[in-house]
Amino acid sequence: MAAILRGKLRSFPANGHAAFLPQIRKLVFECCDRWASSQNARTFLFTRLVSLARDNPHVEIVIRQRIHREPIVRGFYVNNRDKVIPLNGLSLAEINQKVHLLLDSSGAQIKPLKRRTVESTTQSTRGIWSGLHADRPVL
Amino acid sequence: MLARLARSVPALCRAVHTPPTSTTAALELIRSQPSHYIIANFVGTKYILTPRDVLTVPRLRDVKVGDVLTLDEIHELGSREYTLRGNPTISPSRVRVQATVVEHTKGKMEFIFKKKRRKGYQKTISHKQPYTRLRIGEIEIPIEPSS
Repeated sequence: MAAILRGKLRSFPANGHAAFLPQIRKLVFECCDRWASSQNARTFLFTRLVSLARDNPHVEIVIRQRIHREPIVRGFYVNNRDKVIPLNGLSLAEINQKVHLLLDSSGAQIKPLKRRTVESTTQSTRGIWSGLHADRPVL
Repeated sequence: MLARLARSVPALCRAVHTPPTSTTAALELIRSQPSHYIIANFVGTKYILTPRDVLTVPRLRDVKVGDVLTLDEIHELGSREYTLRGNPTISPSRVRVQATVVEHTKGKMEFIFKKKRRKGYQKTISHKQPYTRLRIGEIEIPIEPSS
């Protein structure tokens, strides 16, 4: 009988399988009060932020002052990573797009996804063929 | 003689298993086994899916993160020894599989470099392909088909 290793007696997370937990927990907007590079970011905060907060009740939204610097938005995720996006030179629609990029992300590092269609941890359902355990072929 | 007897034992065992007469009986056989898989068509492509795995497809623009989608085009349901194949699909009242949208991401940055030699023409296009990732839920085979 094989020994049961303690390291094998753990469960692996599968967010979305039984229950789904949104991965973003906090959005921090940092902009300057005076400089023109933060103008569109300030407009976004005044006009669209409240409806954004209402539509995403799971996200904590914080506004900080960042004087004499370019405006940024920072997203904090459940996996302890954060994503920072500068907002200078962007129009209102583009800022909206970047904020939704942060809201939709899971915080995981960007990795090549072109060939990773199905990532499965389930063992093969039909079993793996073995030449030593199959019927001898009869001609 | 013993060797001939040993060779005929698997054939006798197979003869004991009569093929099921109805879909309900077939599903009972499949349900009795511990693990299952499905072959489902999703956004025009067929995938072999099992519970708990992550499916990455090109960005779906009309779904939000957290939405639960039901796979309605299941071509095959199988377990270790039994497989039920639909004609062309299995009715959704027989098998239910849901997928939750986990995230909308982009892939790694790809650089496409174009050049025509001796003509002074070259350009680099940087591109990140957007994807949607879904987590497949449990494969539910209800005991009585819901109307």
